[in-house]
Amino acid sequence: MKTARALSLLLAIGSPAALAQAPTSPPPAAPVRPASLPPFQEAVLPNGLRLLVVESHEQPIVSMSLSFPAGRRYDPAGHEGLAEMVAGLLTKGAGGKSADEVSAAIEGVGGSIGASAGPDFLTIRADALTPNLGLAFGLMADAVMRPAFAPAELSLLRTQTLSGLKLELAQPSSLASRYFAREVYGANPYARRPVPKSIEAITRDDLVRFQRLRLRPGGALLVLAGDVSLAAARQLAAKALAGWTGAAPVATRAAAPPVRTTTDILLVHRPGSVQSNIVVGNTTFAPTDPRFYALTLANRVLGGGAASRLFMILREQKSWTYGAFSSFTRPAGIGAFHANTEVRTEVTDSALREMLTQLRRVGGEPVPAAELSAARDALVGSFPLSLQTADDVAGAVAEARLLGLPANYLATYRTRLAAVPATAVSAAAHSAIRPDRAVIVVVGDATRLYDRLKAIAPVRLVDVDGNPLPPSQLTAQAAALPLDLARLVPRNDSFTVMVQGRPFGYQRGVLERTADGLRYTEETAIPAAGVQQTTTLTLAADGGMREVHQTGKAQGQDTKIDMTYAGGRAKGSATTPGQGGAKTIAVDTTVAPGTLDDNAIQALLPALPWAAGARWTAPVFASGLGTSLTMTLAVAGEESVTVPAGTFQVFRAELTGGPQPVTFYVTKAAPFRLVKVAIAGTPIEMQLVK
Amino acid sequence: MRCLPALAACLLLVARPAASLAGQEPARIATESYTLPNGLEVILAENHATQVVAVDVWYHVGSRNEVAGRTGFAHLFEHMMFQGSAHVKKGEHMALLERAGSEGFNGSTAEDRTNYYEPLPSNRLNLGLWLEADRMRSLAITDSSFQNQREAVKEERRLRVDNQPYSRSIFEEAYTLIDPKACFPYSHSIIGSMDDLNAARTGDVQAFFDLYYAPNNATLVVAGDFQPAETKRLIEQYFGSIPRNPRAIPPVSCEQRFGTGVVRRQVKDPNANLPAVLQIFRVPAYDSADYPALELLSVILGQGESSRLNRALVRESKLAAAAPVLLNPFGPRRGPGELIAFAITNQGIALDSLDHALSAELARVAREGVTEAELSKAKNSYRAGVITGRQTPLAVAEALQSASLFLGSPDAVTTDFQRHMAVTAADIRRVAGAYLRPDNSLTLLVSAEAAK
Repeated sequence: MKTARALSLLLAIGSPAALAQAPTSPPPAAPVRPASLPPFQEAVLPNGLRLLVVESHEQPIVSMSLSFPAGRRYDPAGHEGLAEMVAGLLTKGAGGKSADEVSAAIEGVGGSIGASAGPDFLTIRADALTPNLGLAFGLMADAVMRPAFAPAELSLLRTQTLSGLKLELAQPSSLASRYFAREVYGANPYARRPVPKSIEAITRDDLVRFQRLRLRPGGALLVLAGDVSLAAARQLAAKALAGWTGAAPVATRAAAPPVRTTTDILLVHRPGSVQSNIVVGNTTFAPTDPRFYALTLANRVLGGGAASRLFMILREQKSWTYGAFSSFTRPAGIGAFHANTEVRTEVTDSALREMLTQLRRVGGEPVPAAELSAARDALVGSFPLSLQTADDVAGAVAEARLLGLPANYLATYRTRLAAVPATAVSAAAHSAIRPDRAVIVVVGDATRLYDRLKAIAPVRLVDVDGNPLPPSQLTAQAAALPLDLARLVPRNDSFTVMVQGRPFGYQRGVLERTADGLRYTEETAIPAAGVQQTTTLTLAADGGMREVHQTGKAQGQDTKIDMTYAGGRAKGSATTPGQGGAKTIAVDTTVAPGTLDDNAIQALLPALPWAAGARWTAPVFASGLGTSLTMTLAVAGEESVTVPAGTFQVFRAELTGGPQPVTFYVTKAAPFRLVKVAIAGTPIEMQLVK
Repeated sequence: MRCLPALAACLLLVARPAASLAGQEPARIATESYTLPNGLEVILAENHATQVVAVDVWYHVGSRNEVAGRTGFAHLFEHMMFQGSAHVKKGEHMALLERAGSEGFNGSTAEDRTNYYEPLPSNRLNLGLWLEADRMRSLAITDSSFQNQREAVKEERRLRVDNQPYSRSIFEEAYTLIDPKACFPYSHSIIGSMDDLNAARTGDVQAFFDLYYAPNNATLVVAGDFQPAETKRLIEQYFGSIPRNPRAIPPVSCEQRFGTGVVRRQVKDPNANLPAVLQIFRVPAYDSADYPALELLSVILGQGESSRLNRALVRESKLAAAAPVLLNPFGPRRGPGELIAFAITNQGIALDSLDHALSAELARVAREGVTEAELSKAKNSYRAGVITGRQTPLAVAEALQSASLFLGSPDAVTTDFQRHMAVTAADIRRVAGAYLRPDNSLTLLVSAEAAK
């Protein structure tokens, strides 16, 4: 291609033979030019709204955002999740348009719109090609000034939030970060996290009140970036935001985070966990603190990347983990530093000791020059890559404004980072990374961790719901369920199987007394899923397992279980569907005293001494898998549920420790009937019909 | 390094909808192109909007150049390019880039090309050029690196293909649409078979390098914040003395015909929770006059909330949990490609009913065509995708490489946009009729084995 031009070019710069050879070592960096950020302009509109415009006419596109002091820290206690829910609903109908009409309008003109809540601010964002800027801006204005908060959309979002929360609470990493926030921030609002109860408590009135109080022009920041001018932005705002007034909400003084003087460990018992999640950290400082630059460098040395100490030692040298990192947050209030990793249970105490050693070392001894300059080069070098688009620049400038950083913050960021002396790095680490007064959260199997962690620091033991757990209970694990078979009354229950709220099949359970015990027969049919199963259980008069037989099909493959329990052993065979056809396993194994077959739990629920706060941990044999499990059944709440059979006051009980958490709804009054069953992470529910 | 995009990313290839007004075009990219005496094509695109520069090398080799018994080799080779060269120790390549502040550097393998790229702060352009030149000149090929990377690729295959729902269908089974006898180059997957990976030898690596990784089989693009004179000097100094490969590259032959008969096959997916159907249709090469219409058709059918399949199958009949359409998941090709209509059943829905409903929608578009509103939305969507996809130097570099390889000139970035804007509703109806025919398709009926 274009060879003639290439030749003339070569002639112009000399013959190839005369050229320098390619160097044999990496060429040195060329000098860094002062940062040249796209120009930005600022103004304050008559209604008090701050406006920031970042002009870039490279492409015909504009992105915009509008941020309010309406983040999660303003969630009222007991209504945690409110800010996020307001954000979620702003774009689900506003200004007389339904949710579908809003999305059709924005898709039609080419753009996107959405909102989310962070710790301090709620931000709505939209983008569009230049000619459609007005329409996108109008949708954004409607969303914040005239949101519909339609009850149907609220109910949909509530359901989605609750199911997301359920999965989140089953993740050990989420548990660890929630407990860390709670421990490190105490009464400070940054500790707050939504829970199912707080989500359920949020009403439409709460949303309206929050929006009226907090989504006002005063205290808000409007940012437009891209193919737009300040004058055009003013015009848009004057038109679309006409009549919008309101001073900034009165700033409330947040409770200070607790002052700590010692280090201790919150051990969250997650029975059977094969890994432990470890988080170690402490509160740091306000966003304007001058130690920010030095701590940024110290954090990079310690755990900010894959070349940092924590990763190199815990992963590369010790092979304890897939990753180990550290970071620190910079919210509008007091920030927090933390280091975290996920390791296999056996090495939990070694990994924690190593992390504490590294946290002490980064603040306790000088960082070697080569290590510090590698960290510095990487941070200084990558800065322009974080500001490649007008949108990137707008986001960074907006964050600086919202956090109250100096006007020249971005322009001087690289030079300030480059100028931090080595001594300041150690000093900042020493004062802001505090292994001597740290919060340590470990989520894992406490039966295997408690004694070993106690040797490192004092341990407070809690269950996954945060209830204190006496260490003695760790050894008293997995006792036989306190069944009282006298409570069982013969029954013939029919359930409808619902998938996403539509009936897909049925289950029928028949409990009968026999001459020497009990027999329970359960028939399940979900034709669309190819499920057709019959299970028969026999139990002794004292509740001891005797036999389980199951026959049928699942997804078109045969299933069959024949298991006999006697003399402390489970013996038999199980055929279950699998990839490449059904698999049959032979079982002959010892089981703990009082072990129940997993198929028997549902049948025996009415025989338990139900009460608020009740909690049982029992040995269970999963006969289909041929595996012994320790499962916990705990009353998590009381509520009223409506199913085809009627409306009932029930205990909501969570069964955990099996492949999937299951929620049972059992009537509060004897005979403790099971009226509803939900399987976590699936859209499947069973509801009592009669 | 990366080869296969995660499935989720593929499913999210939802083109963004765009402006309704005419006359909105992406900003023109000013380029300068020349060829070094050793055959290396160079394209420069200067832009000082940010202090970022991208170095992007495309070698004109991909899975299409592989021979029977060595499938997966182009991608395996890509891994070797990160294992060191004459002046770069093993592991040093990534460390040098990271320390220079580069983020998002990588390589990837597709059917027609293998690319290597690094976005850099502009004062480190010299490092990016030097690293690319050093490995083009003197890749270090050792037994231990090769064994090690072969294991890494097998692990990548397990992770990305064998262990993800629907991945085997999309990234492997779909290639059987092309007849290996008529067109071996496009009839096998990029990741290759485990047997072929196991059969590969260290000697194959050197031979592959000598044949394909020469300057006269590569294009270098530098885009973003650089000074042209200094950059040309560096390119000449670093790359100028790398010898060309004097041998001819074996021709890639492909005699695939369209409309060769109906093929339906059952596929068991041990990772899937829900059954799915893939109806896959042969489409022509990227430079075909029909391709822009097929691209807009795929947007109308299966990209975005308001696309036809999403409206008909997900929202109205609720037969499907998702129903995206993918056109050549790894990008353009110089040979026959595939349009994949991919529908996952909703809970409890029989696969047959979804398959029938999908066929009916595809038959309807071939019979009735699309509305002007749908066409204009698809064009806007394409337009917005192009414009938002040109905001960084690396994205500009990739667009120039693509235009150069698939349409013969970097200037085709502009004409390619125009040929998409020129598509009419009649064009779309015609290509739907010509290509979305049952006798031009492969249907994969995926059973969900994970749910069992």
